[in-house]
Amino acid sequence: MKLELRRAVVEDLVFGPATGLAGGLLTVDSDEALRCLEGIPLTKMRLEIARPGESVRIIPVKDVIEPRCKVEGPGEVFPGFIGDVETVGEGATLVLEGAAVVTCAPVVGFQEGFIDMCGPGADYTPFSKTKNLVLIAEPEEGLEKHAYEGALRMAGLRLAHYLAKACASVAPDRTETYELPPLAGRNSDLPRFVYIYMLQSQGLLHDTYLYGVDVKKILPTLIHPNEVLDGAVASGNCVSACDKNTTYHHLNNPVIAELYRRHGIDLDFLGVIVTNENVILVDKKRSSSYTAKLASLIGADVAIVTEEGYGNPDTDLVMNCAKLERRGIRTVLITDEAAGADGASQGLADAVPEATAVVSAGNVNAIVVVPPMDRVLGWPESIATLSGGNESSLRPDGSIETEIQAIIGSTNELGFSAIGSRWV
Amino acid sequence: MVKEIERAGFPVVHIATIVPISLTVGANRIVPGVAIPHPLGNPDLPAEEEFALRRSLIERAFRALTTDVEEQTVFDC
Repeated sequence: MKLELRRAVVEDLVFGPATGLAGGLLTVDSDEALRCLEGIPLTKMRLEIARPGESVRIIPVKDVIEPRCKVEGPGEVFPGFIGDVETVGEGATLVLEGAAVVTCAPVVGFQEGFIDMCGPGADYTPFSKTKNLVLIAEPEEGLEKHAYEGALRMAGLRLAHYLAKACASVAPDRTETYELPPLAGRNSDLPRFVYIYMLQSQGLLHDTYLYGVDVKKILPTLIHPNEVLDGAVASGNCVSACDKNTTYHHLNNPVIAELYRRHGIDLDFLGVIVTNENVILVDKKRSSSYTAKLASLIGADVAIVTEEGYGNPDTDLVMNCAKLERRGIRTVLITDEAAGADGASQGLADAVPEATAVVSAGNVNAIVVVPPMDRVLGWPESIATLSGGNESSLRPDGSIETEIQAIIGSTNELGFSAIGSRWV
Repeated sequence: MVKEIERAGFPVVHIATIVPISLTVGANRIVPGVAIPHPLGNPDLPAEEEFALRRSLIERAFRALTTDVEEQTVFDC
């Protein structure tokens, strides 16, 4: 399976009469963009622009999506939501690098997060560095929470696809090729690596989708990494902002990028096993056993496991670890910690002796104070109920004192951030 | 909380869904719950069956409470 990512770099983002990309300037026709959302049960929809360095806060953020579309090959990005469910990961895909669609709405209230485009809060989120087209929307009257989430998820994916599609004829600034040969033909002496991709699937709006299928309903399955690059995995999550994987994170998964980079140099990248994090113990047992079995079946020597969220998914994480290790597969875990404001408490809710190689992406309970912003997009008072915030978080001057878990992507467990924890 | 109540001399049963976490944190009498969002019931069941399920969980917890244990014990049935 071979995929070209054709990257067109977006240097700036403005509203204008026609959507398109020229000379690094992405122009968006706001009316036309909103028309692509017709039929979605949202109301009071409007688009705003937030650029790096501007004094802007976006709150509460549900998802972030990188604009992509297929320009060659079968299927369409975000299969199951955009276009059909044809297998993706082949041909060519246009990426509007440096741009992002951000969806902003209080779906659940406590499990979204915020993005600051400047100041100390900006250092904790990668989306202070993207040129953001922000969709702000409210539900149609009577729309239930789960339908609100679904509507907003679809709106974000459609907008991201619309933006890329409108730029489909642009010449890319650079092209990357991603190709892995079939497992059967491999003749490598290098250690064989599998990536175990744990996806949030706790239900009650804590869901992730694979080709449009709710992953709480799947048995763990093997996929080609190129499918992830084409949006086969999409976020439907309203979980703590710090360590939920937005759709942008999935599209730009750094573990996949690094395994690809080193494939054929010092490792042999076998593929990706997608698994879930369900709320019933028997599901955790079944999925971890099945995951370890699949890894063994394809002959993995080494597994890298990434978690999504914290708390009970820590059990899925360490169950995966123990069962992989018992099959002789050396296993590295990437996670984060809820270790209290001083970092002195137990970082993970569960542990096994086999977990001897763990990378921490940071402590979700660390406190940060962020100053007021000139412009606030969304609902600033929602910090009172966001995970990590409290009733006194929002101060009269507009500054916020909060745990970093309220900041989108601050302790991302794919490693898509600049911070980590020091073990003491 | 389980450990602190126990330290004060009261027997405690921990009803929780993710038994490995109960074991990790050191609970001694553990009764597995149904699911994290609904540990003591199952909204998918008809009311009569759910009542029976809830009663069986509570009875199991009472039994655990009145059973002497020498080590961490999971009351599966």
